[in-house]
Amino acid sequence: MLKFIIKRLLTLVPLLLAVSVVVFLLLRLGPNDPAMSYLRLSNIPPTDAALAEARATLGLDRPVAVQYFAWLGRALRLDFGISYVTKAPVTDHLLHYLPNTLYLAGVSILMTIGLSLPLGIMAARYQGRWPDHLSRALAYIGVSTPSFWLAFLMIMLFSVKLGWLPTRGLGGLSHVIMPAFSVALMSLCINMRLIRGNMLEQTHTRQVLYARIRGVKEGYITRGHVLKNSLIPVVTALGMHIGEILGGAVVAEVIFAWPGVGRYMVSAIFNRDFPVMQCFILMMTTIFVLCNLFTDILYAAIDPRMRLANEGSGND
Amino acid sequence: MRLLYAFMAAWCLTFGLAGSLFAQNIDREDTIIFSCLSNVGPLNPHLYSPNQMFAQSMVYEPLVKLKPDGSIGPALAEKWAISDDGLHYTFYLRRDVRFSDGEPFNAEAVAKNFEAVMGNAERHKWLGVTGKIAGFEAVGPYEFKLTLNSPYYPCLEDLSLPRPFRMLSPAAFPDDGDTSKGIKTPAGTGPWRLAKIALGEYDLFERNELYWGEKAKVSKVLVSVIPDPVSRALAFETGEIDLIYGLGQINFDTFDRLRQTPKVSAEISGPMGTMAAAINTAKGPAAELKVRKALNHLTDKAALIKGVTLGTQPRAETLFAPEVPYCDLNLRPYEYDSAKAAALLDEAGWKLAPGQKIREKNGQPLVMDFCFVGNNAAHKAIAEVVQAQAGRVGLALNLVGEEEDSFYRRQKDGDFHIILNPTWGPPFEPHALVSSMLLPAHADFMAQAGLTMKADIDARINEVLATTDKAVRQKLYRDILTMLHEQAVYLPLFHDALFMVYRPERLQNARFGAERSYIPFEEFSVK
Repeated sequence: MLKFIIKRLLTLVPLLLAVSVVVFLLLRLGPNDPAMSYLRLSNIPPTDAALAEARATLGLDRPVAVQYFAWLGRALRLDFGISYVTKAPVTDHLLHYLPNTLYLAGVSILMTIGLSLPLGIMAARYQGRWPDHLSRALAYIGVSTPSFWLAFLMIMLFSVKLGWLPTRGLGGLSHVIMPAFSVALMSLCINMRLIRGNMLEQTHTRQVLYARIRGVKEGYITRGHVLKNSLIPVVTALGMHIGEILGGAVVAEVIFAWPGVGRYMVSAIFNRDFPVMQCFILMMTTIFVLCNLFTDILYAAIDPRMRLANEGSGND
Repeated sequence: MRLLYAFMAAWCLTFGLAGSLFAQNIDREDTIIFSCLSNVGPLNPHLYSPNQMFAQSMVYEPLVKLKPDGSIGPALAEKWAISDDGLHYTFYLRRDVRFSDGEPFNAEAVAKNFEAVMGNAERHKWLGVTGKIAGFEAVGPYEFKLTLNSPYYPCLEDLSLPRPFRMLSPAAFPDDGDTSKGIKTPAGTGPWRLAKIALGEYDLFERNELYWGEKAKVSKVLVSVIPDPVSRALAFETGEIDLIYGLGQINFDTFDRLRQTPKVSAEISGPMGTMAAAINTAKGPAAELKVRKALNHLTDKAALIKGVTLGTQPRAETLFAPEVPYCDLNLRPYEYDSAKAAALLDEAGWKLAPGQKIREKNGQPLVMDFCFVGNNAAHKAIAEVVQAQAGRVGLALNLVGEEEDSFYRRQKDGDFHIILNPTWGPPFEPHALVSSMLLPAHADFMAQAGLTMKADIDARINEVLATTDKAVRQKLYRDILTMLHEQAVYLPLFHDALFMVYRPERLQNARFGAERSYIPFEEFSVK
């Protein structure tokens, strides 16, 4: 197991390096000129002299390779430079906003698991009856509703019409319900259908048939045999949902004025604030990859077949 | 299974606790809640972005300030004297002023501020007065003298701007006195002091109890960070914010909807700038006067204002509104007349062949680029309306909506036929904007570059900024603006008017400020 984890951790290094090269080059070789962005965001008239000075200050007059390694060297020390807009260190601000995004994403994941489990189980148990039809309808609607639209609809209903929930910002639990739900809905629906499908598949396996023959109670069969085995693919899917949820959080943070990294990123993209964009993309890649790693480890832990297969290949 | 339930219970508990930690309690009583798309910044009075101008104006004061009638009135200077040659300005300061940190305000403090600003003069080059200041000194405890190297009439106007010539407490300066690198605390003499910055959430202003003038009626102003205009409108509807104020805070259609909401007051200010397009006199068909005039005649401004702004903005016939000082010139407007536009294009040799949609001359089609910032929905809508109207007379406009960097590069390089170029509004008009027409990095300079009389215009601009004789100044402004109008260098569309939306049963005495970025919060009260 340890070997498996170390092996997976080591593969992260080339991956992150490759991402850093792509991020750096995409932003540098695109049609945008960081020097121009810098001047515009500092309200300095972009004369040729000012542009040349900005290029020298930002190190843009050096060869791209030199710029990359200088940037990488600083990035390894978590120094991603100064934001063109706020003139404050990028890392400080991103780390300030990150807990808020993780809080939102955490609640969304909780909602995804907490709601998809009972709904999925119910749909499987009452297959072909109204709870199943209801869950199917909900899944269709949930998957095809854009999260920003859902967010505004919820605000209109729960904040403007009913006055139950606040429209925006950080605060108590009431503040997080709508943003988290708008982010979670799609993953929730996918997960619900996945659990239902897996459970139905498991009910037709031999061990369930054998349990029935042994006279094991139906409730125990559902909990102990069917559900337990159905959850394994759900763990993998959850790893994917983390990506969806972090992406969805960007939209929700803007609409609900949630002070997270996503909203910071949106304004950085809007302003062409290069240092922020680079840092954000690398940070999100790292989080995403780490979550996937965690899922794989979890998967290996709960499914011996996976672990044994890996150990087997390790011994080859 | 039990493990799963335990895990979920623990998760719920963690986030429940986390949620209560994140909870912020806002005391709504005696507080005006406003919103802004980002935090107000560190509030350095001598610097620009990310410092928000409206917030700088809340905390810091100038020596003299702009009055609602456009004239200059006293602020931290009770009175002032200008020498006959227009080179020496002596300011007599108020004696009863203290900064919000308790430091006394005096001529030494003023000199320290001027020293910091002039130490970073390159950064303020866009502002005429920084190039004119030859020296300054505190000649007495409450007497400050400013010397110019040549006469410059808008000296007082420039000193009244929200930045950079506003007064920071001497104790708030960094040890080396160089504020361009940052300040210790945002302490000014204004009616408000910045009490708290919650990054990404809000900024809290409290009444400055040491304020020398009439103290603010409410004790706090909370500026919530709301980036999205639709979310802002919804927050207003639920009563989470008390006020929507300014340009771009909400979209035109949202304003129109709120205007029809009962118990909501939705007001529109007088002209605070002009939405205009600059036409490049040095490029392609736009270099021809008749084509530029045709563009002015073919634009149906009434339809544009109705369609794009839902009738909220007043029509513009000239680059500056007649309310702007020296600009009530009775220039003859280019009335909407597409037949006249077509005739002008015919005269210029741009003929419409039968069955064709685009005019041609010597085999060249009449196509021009209309440039704007692509992600600005209002600018895009304006461009589309003008494009449709131009198409009716056989003039094809190619819409170039780009991100801001490319847009500013086009301005700088003159790489446009027509470019949306809104003016800056009071207190920058007309002097600061006219002065910027001399700078090659500005769209105005590039648009005027093809005029045979550009050198003459520039000479008059230099002259008008230097003259101390008001009558001469008026004449020179008339000459400059008449030339630009007759040469049809601009396509004025509508005057920018500010929006103010509030509930009279919650917010009282709300009114517009004299400047585009000044919100007179100190006069507002809440119930």
